[in-house]
Amino acid sequence: MKVLELKDVNKIYNSSMVKVHAVNDVTLDFAEAEFTAVVGPSGSGKTTLLNLIGGLDMPTTGEIIIGGTNLSRLSSSQLIDFRLNNIGFVFQSYNLIPVLTALENVEFIMLLQDKPKQQRQQRAIELLTQVGLADKIHKRPGELSGGEQQRVAVARALASKPRFILADEPTANLDTKSTENLLDIMEHLNHEESMTFIFSTHDARVVQKAHRVVTIEDGKVKSDIEQHPHN
Amino acid sequence: MKEEFKIAWRNLWRNKRRTLITSASVFFAVFFAVIMRSYQLGSYDHMINNFIESFTGYLQIQHAKYQDNPFIDNSFDYNDPFALTILNADKVVSVTPHLESFTLASSGTQTKGVAIVAIDPVKEKNFSDPESKLVKYRITDEAVKRMKDTGRFPDVVMDKVVRNLGRSYTSSGRLELELGLASEDNIRYMPEILSCSGVSNGYLANDDQGILVSDRLAGYLKVAAGDSVILMGQGYHGVSANGIFPVRGIIKMPSPEIDNKLIIMTLPSAQEFFDAEGKITSLVVNLTDKSNRTIKTAKSNISSLLPDSNTTVRTWYELNPILYQQIQGDSQTGIAMLGLLYLIIFFGIFGTVLMMVSERKREFGVLVAIGMQKRKLKRIITLEMMLLGAIGLVCGLLASVPLILYFYFYPIVLKGDLATMMEDWGWEAVMPTAWFGPYFYWQAVIVAFMILLTMIYPIRKIGQLKEMEALKG
Repeated sequence: MKVLELKDVNKIYNSSMVKVHAVNDVTLDFAEAEFTAVVGPSGSGKTTLLNLIGGLDMPTTGEIIIGGTNLSRLSSSQLIDFRLNNIGFVFQSYNLIPVLTALENVEFIMLLQDKPKQQRQQRAIELLTQVGLADKIHKRPGELSGGEQQRVAVARALASKPRFILADEPTANLDTKSTENLLDIMEHLNHEESMTFIFSTHDARVVQKAHRVVTIEDGKVKSDIEQHPHN
Repeated sequence: MKEEFKIAWRNLWRNKRRTLITSASVFFAVFFAVIMRSYQLGSYDHMINNFIESFTGYLQIQHAKYQDNPFIDNSFDYNDPFALTILNADKVVSVTPHLESFTLASSGTQTKGVAIVAIDPVKEKNFSDPESKLVKYRITDEAVKRMKDTGRFPDVVMDKVVRNLGRSYTSSGRLELELGLASEDNIRYMPEILSCSGVSNGYLANDDQGILVSDRLAGYLKVAAGDSVILMGQGYHGVSANGIFPVRGIIKMPSPEIDNKLIIMTLPSAQEFFDAEGKITSLVVNLTDKSNRTIKTAKSNISSLLPDSNTTVRTWYELNPILYQQIQGDSQTGIAMLGLLYLIIFFGIFGTVLMMVSERKREFGVLVAIGMQKRKLKRIITLEMMLLGAIGLVCGLLASVPLILYFYFYPIVLKGDLATMMEDWGWEAVMPTAWFGPYFYWQAVIVAFMILLTMIYPIRKIGQLKEMEALKG
């Protein structure tokens, strides 16, 4: 079942002198429970593509359809609500709310969804346990390592029960051990919760774990390959 | 809302030092603004109270033309039933009649134009109290000679006495204060100084035909209690007014201008002298309090009791437009100073807001990206700013309360020339604070307004926020 469709998507930035074709005629679709890596050299358009998929930016032409909803047809406010309920984000630099504890950070998304307190707490503890942080739920981001913060970010992304999770170079700031740990968790969640993961990366170890690898060059899809992950 | 408040509160303390500095600036602005304004308003109150209670009263009933043409022809009929009617009006505490005019005063070869104020000696004691202004001691050549003749005064004491030669005093305390003797000398020599410098001055009886002469005028006319003064002038409707009046006493008026020209006599005596039977030029009315509402109510009530359109009621500020305008002008200056203070603080707060928005642009982007509606984010930032202002505001107001209370009940006692001048006027030389009133609560409104103004910037920025750009920082 298709979770996400991109139809003839183009993104052109008009800088002062030249037009930059950041995403060039991309047509892709992603099914439920996929574990997809978007790879390519710097400036190839990976992040722009992920931003378009996440509704953080709008395509110049083309359509992005998530669960039957065309993102271009949503107002700014509707788009925010849509993101809240359908997309989980994991950022390269974690971007947790510094004044909230790990538990509160995970709860925060559900708070925005107006979920009752008890339900929020129960799910947040469950998710933090799944990412191996049961003993650190009351720590603030500043008291956690980079790997731990990124695991909280993954738990936060899952908290709203989104259709898929977008992760923009999630391991870029992590050491080897933390990277492996995070990948294991993401893989486990993908397997156990049938959660779709789409992540951009440069890291060969991350690419090895992916079931599908989409390669972007100069804004175009150069290849789209299914693979057996290496463990 | 509880969660938003929690996030706002915690955000506030992310940069403790900045929050403390900004709150402290609001605190000091509020604290100084409240204290400054309280002293300013307290001083006005004190000044107005003194002035009203000693000179004009809260209201005066006058002939309609008297304000523009203060001549005896513009007087009106006065009698006890009329006084009683006014006294029974709502909010009225006392009524005191005055008949005022001008004549020439002469004694020996000296002649001078003088102001005559005719009073009811008993009723006047409750108003301007001329009896308290009677000269009781005077350092004259004769008094100095008497002291020297005793041979008991050391040079240091005599020097101080001679330095005050020619001066007169309405009380022993005043004389002690101005001589400024060392405490031991004061105890040892003051009784004899008082005895040598004491003068005898009497007050007026109700039907007295005598007069009280102001100190400097008495000096010019070279008269003392027991002498006589000839008065010549124009009475009611142009009749000739001439008479010879015995001087009962010398009074010392604090204003040199008034002290140079004042003669006080009884109302019946003046009415006879000016041929103005039953007439007065003003009826001074004192009220329960000086609030605008009371003054307006009383004015309206009394106006309806007046016998005809020839008489009118004037408020103290209509009678003293210059004093009123001076107070208003000074008050406006004070408000302008406070405005300047708040303006500086405003830019301080605005600086904090600019830094906060600049530092947290990326964070705002993340929050909107993960699904927080911009209106919710605006609410959190608004709460944050309001809390920032409220900390300084509440602390500033609370800190000012004990000071205002203390100085309201125990005002600053003035010293030096200013104190001497005020006491000469018969006023207490103190500087009290004003009781809590709108000026106190207005600080909250001003700080809230400042915060609202500073919030325009972050709220606009959040409104214009583009997630992609914000995420790039």
